[in-house]
Amino acid sequence: MFIVDCDCHNYWCSATVLEPYMEGLFKDMFVRGERTGPRGAFPHGHRPWFHPEGFARHDVNPVAEDDNYLIMKEKHLDKYKIDVAILTGDEPIEASTLANPYYANALCKAYNDYMIDYWLPKDERFWGSIVVAPQDPHLAAAEIRRVGGHPRVVQVLVSHGAARPYGDPFYHPIYEACAEMGLPFAMHLGGQGGINSTPIGAGPSTFFWETHAILPQTAMTHMASLIAHGVFEKWPELKVVIIECGVAWVPSVLWRLDANYKALRKETPWLKRLPSEYFKSNIRMSTQPLEQPENIQHLWATLEAMDGENTLMFASDYPHWDYDDVNKLHIPPAWREKIFGLNALDVYTRLPRPMAHAAE
Amino acid sequence: MANKHFACKTDEVPADAAKIVTVSNMPIGVFKLDDGYHALLNICPHKGAALCEGPVCGTTRETDSTEFVYDRAGEIVRCAWHGWEFDIRSGEFLVDSSIKTRRFDVSQEGDALYVHF
Repeated sequence: MFIVDCDCHNYWCSATVLEPYMEGLFKDMFVRGERTGPRGAFPHGHRPWFHPEGFARHDVNPVAEDDNYLIMKEKHLDKYKIDVAILTGDEPIEASTLANPYYANALCKAYNDYMIDYWLPKDERFWGSIVVAPQDPHLAAAEIRRVGGHPRVVQVLVSHGAARPYGDPFYHPIYEACAEMGLPFAMHLGGQGGINSTPIGAGPSTFFWETHAILPQTAMTHMASLIAHGVFEKWPELKVVIIECGVAWVPSVLWRLDANYKALRKETPWLKRLPSEYFKSNIRMSTQPLEQPENIQHLWATLEAMDGENTLMFASDYPHWDYDDVNKLHIPPAWREKIFGLNALDVYTRLPRPMAHAAE
Repeated sequence: MANKHFACKTDEVPADAAKIVTVSNMPIGVFKLDDGYHALLNICPHKGAALCEGPVCGTTRETDSTEFVYDRAGEIVRCAWHGWEFDIRSGEFLVDSSIKTRRFDVSQEGDALYVHF
């Protein structure tokens, strides 16, 4: 079976790997400036929840930088016969938490150059996400145009923690650039700190596991906002990928959006279809971490209600603590080929289609 | 062949709302528009609410940008409960024209209005 992993984290041991890709003021800030941790920590506004065990699996313990790839190859890519790994970085999306948009943009640029230079050539299964700092959409758009033409770059990535909902016209320069470069826009769970001060409705929750379970709240807001503001009317070809934000909530939110739109469509006269129809044509959800009810039929009915056969894409979240195993993904058997790989080909249009045939 | 049934007098129909009448046990709203009188069943196909007792108003025209063009003033009734918008002339729901409330032909004789069904 042809397998695309839509959320494969390329780790580093130390953020100092970015130093060769920085210069001038921002290199000085990066090398000598204050950090949220010892030398090698990536600058970011930290979240108020600390994972009690750290994010990485405890059987993934790189010592030297090259171990990050070698362990991934052995324990993930080769073991599960992954055909395509969409690299999603790790800490760089946290640049979205910084108040200084110029520094945040410089960090993203350094990461993108490092990712293209260091990671993409390592393995023919690797395809890259370029990370942008959405707090200055014009700088982000410029970065998308700077590196978005690289033939092995397949998406633009931000954190789902944000200063305002992603449908806001403030962000539209980013979508203009995505559309121009033919790249999907993806948001990955993260960025819950610093200027992104409202990742949880009603205020900060207390414990890490409690918080992690309800973080999809923010994704609900972004999904509603993208649809309501008519992003998919302005850019009908644009695909938005929501990564690691859960999936079982989607039908209930779509039902609510459709119901409210039917009554009050006059507020948004630029919409021409029901919210759920924009979801089905333009938004894709990554599977991990797929909810696990005691009765699997409860989940499958939910997936059917969101047209999961066509809207879901497999993701492992390697090497994080809530990793999903290819061999144990509990989805309807008839949908496996689409969810494991074929749906991704429609989103990541730079992936050569013959890859799917070659893998069979 | 439809029969005609007396609904109300013309001066009972306000300019900005429906006159609600009961004809053969059916609740009906009679509206006065620029081109004459119209009548709809006063039962919303959504949840059965008193559709014709909601506000008579206009709405925004479908656009391609963040532009708000207020259009069709006086030609739309919003259901009294959930606000679904219906075209008074056709009875069609604006979001999905396959959903509609029943409409009736209206005729006038002197100051008397009749609905036909």
